[in-house]
Amino acid sequence: MSILSAQDLTKDYPGTRALNKVSVTFDSGRVHALLGKNGSGKSTLVKCFAGAIQPTSGKMFMDGEELSFSSPADANQKGIAIVYQEMSLVPSLSVTENIFLGRLPKNRMGAVNWRKAHAMARDLLDQLNVKIDLGQIISRLSMWQCQVVEIIKAMSHSPRVLILDEPTSALAAHEVNMVFQVLRALKKQDVIIIYISHKLHEIPEIADTVTVLRDSELIGQKDMKDSSNADILHMMFGEMEHKARPQGMKPGDEVVMSVKNLSRKGKFEDVSFNLHKSEVLGIAGMLGSGRTELLKSIFGADPYDAGEVVVKGQTAKKRATPISMKKMGLGLTPEDRKKEGLILIHSIRDNLCYASIDRTRQGWLENRKKRIELADEQVDSLHIKVSNLKASANSLSGGNQQKVVVGNWLNTQPGIMLYDEPSRGIDVAAKQQIFDIMWQQARLGGSTLFVSSELEELLDTCHRILVMHDGRIIAEVDPETINIKDLYAMCMGGKA
Amino acid sequence: MSMLRQLNARKIRDFLFDHVVEVILIVLILVMGSVSSTFNTTANWLNIFRNMSMKGLIAFGMTMVIITGQIDLSIGSTVAISGVIVARACRDLPGMMGISVTLACVIGIAVSLLLAILMGALHGFAQHKFGMPAFIITLASQNLLYGLAGMLSGGFPIANTFPQWFTVLGTGRIGGYSGFPVPALLLFLFFIIMFFILRYTTTGRSMYAVGGNQESARLSGIPVLKTKIFAFASVQVMCVIAGFINSAQVLSGSYSFGRGWEVDVISAVVIGGTSMAGGIGKMWGTMVGIIFLGVIINSMTILNVSTYAQYVVRAVFMTIAVLVATYQAKKKA
Repeated sequence: MSILSAQDLTKDYPGTRALNKVSVTFDSGRVHALLGKNGSGKSTLVKCFAGAIQPTSGKMFMDGEELSFSSPADANQKGIAIVYQEMSLVPSLSVTENIFLGRLPKNRMGAVNWRKAHAMARDLLDQLNVKIDLGQIISRLSMWQCQVVEIIKAMSHSPRVLILDEPTSALAAHEVNMVFQVLRALKKQDVIIIYISHKLHEIPEIADTVTVLRDSELIGQKDMKDSSNADILHMMFGEMEHKARPQGMKPGDEVVMSVKNLSRKGKFEDVSFNLHKSEVLGIAGMLGSGRTELLKSIFGADPYDAGEVVVKGQTAKKRATPISMKKMGLGLTPEDRKKEGLILIHSIRDNLCYASIDRTRQGWLENRKKRIELADEQVDSLHIKVSNLKASANSLSGGNQQKVVVGNWLNTQPGIMLYDEPSRGIDVAAKQQIFDIMWQQARLGGSTLFVSSELEELLDTCHRILVMHDGRIIAEVDPETINIKDLYAMCMGGKA
Repeated sequence: MSMLRQLNARKIRDFLFDHVVEVILIVLILVMGSVSSTFNTTANWLNIFRNMSMKGLIAFGMTMVIITGQIDLSIGSTVAISGVIVARACRDLPGMMGISVTLACVIGIAVSLLLAILMGALHGFAQHKFGMPAFIITLASQNLLYGLAGMLSGGFPIANTFPQWFTVLGTGRIGGYSGFPVPALLLFLFFIIMFFILRYTTTGRSMYAVGGNQESARLSGIPVLKTKIFAFASVQVMCVIAGFINSAQVLSGSYSFGRGWEVDVISAVVIGGTSMAGGIGKMWGTMVGIIFLGVIINSMTILNVSTYAQYVVRAVFMTIAVLVATYQAKKKA
């Protein structure tokens, strides 16, 4: 029996407090669900435990002994293991080799003792009742098998605390059960299991307690059997009040884009909707709901199998590309701004002018003056805080980077903007500015398709919200009348 | 006042840091000038540029390819086959078709250029559509063109078939016997053209974008495939022109020309500060890299350093220059 606890744990970042005097206790032999919406402080808490960041003040204890880490290696030493969302396995190596990466058992000659390595790996698998071919390479395994190998790799260090960061987020429903079986077997080994998830309907099935954080503070810790779904939602969201939307923001009647029965195998199915002039249309959906894939297909960045996209009465060709959709007046700010939106090593000015490269073209040549004008225009109107436009995009803060991605597209004078999670990882002020841009575009007659998993944002910003789950649009809701808890439950595919 | 001085000192330091390869080059030139009385003469400098003209031309094209995030290792074979094609055209076409040698030569030139563009398109297409590494595709082309050049020439150099005007490309001088060599002239002419394309056209801008982050470029609606093909075709066209100069100088076409040139060409590009990772680079830098290589080779010849020792010295200088360039890139990131 061991106990992990935090006492008045606080973490300050410049300008914000990510964790505010959180005191909480986790005991072994149970699965503790750690819940909270994005930015609630749950990853900050977990990162403190894992030694990835150091708390500003407060203390952490393991069985009464005070913990102080300066690196993740320190935390590992004390028996705290964490399995992050991103895969940390080497795809081209076998299961056994991945489990013992960097510490494969050797024989007297200094060569790898494969027989011993496989036996040790087999032992770990047997303890958890898992059947996976140890000689198989990771890239041939299914997603749940990879996740289980991650868990087993962490368990091979015999940790006392195992932290799982959304282990099921990338899994299909039937695969989740396989992972849960492993977790149930783990409970018998006297380990403290902390389980972060956004999939609310899974929680009752696997967790013994729920711990909820909201706005950097601990809201409560309860036994699972004493709390209903509604309780948990209430703890997560509290009493929400609506922020006032700008006045006189009625969308027009004219349909500027209609998506008809759009399908892409394994990604989304039979999606249909209309987007009106001056409308901000939201799509609410969690990770893996198919929302990103949908936007990319509409924009011509990914193919689709069936259906059609009609923009201002003109049907997009079947094999559309970002180039052809750009000509039809569409723009997309991608989900991952660093990998897909920006060219980090290039200057801010260059990054503001890539999509509008045709507007700065003069015959064969590029009109440099026009380029500088376009860049300056966006820096002014989007309030991008920057002293030197020649500095690399890499040097900007997340919020300013996002504004550069938006500015890059606004320079093409798009009629329809698609935003994929535009507010991820940026500060509150920058978020509000991004929403202001959407409204400003709406006032000028532009239309916006706005995908987000932060539901408050959608409620505050949109005229209408489509709810996407498992690749389908399952509902259309009115942000004026829907309650956030119901919307959240709908996104999760459950009932309110 | 002292702050102003500090600021200036810092500016100077930054400037020197950004142009460290140029600084090394100038020091090298000054040292050589004081050691040897023949080094800093007009004749010697024209000689350096004439000698580096062929690899220089190719390096300009290679700069575009590397900025686009690709590589072309087939360049040497393209140099060889273009010479062979023109030599063979001049030898056989007049007899076969009853045309003048001049027309035969023009046909040879046209076929070579067409082949270059075709190869460039092929490289770009194969890399982009199938995601094959350019390294491998162009390595295959290197063998393909080498083999074809050997077959076309029957394994022997085809000598003394060119019309007089063609040989001017290699041996001509503007303004008499000690005048400006035509190959050096071509080097400067194409430097200006390639500099201009890279810096002032949207195609040039697109190369940086595609090499900097292909996915971001694609999602910004930049024609990725077209850009790659343009870059790959550019370097091949440069190879063909270099091949003409080379064959015109030695008055023959042979499958063995151009072998191993990729080493010097890529070295010059990288010494000039172009990043092998793509997205960063300058045409001017490549010019500096070419002069750098030319000066080292020329100096060692003047100083009577043995051929093998020359390779060692070149290796040392290249490593230092690339080390500096890499350090600069890291510092900037």
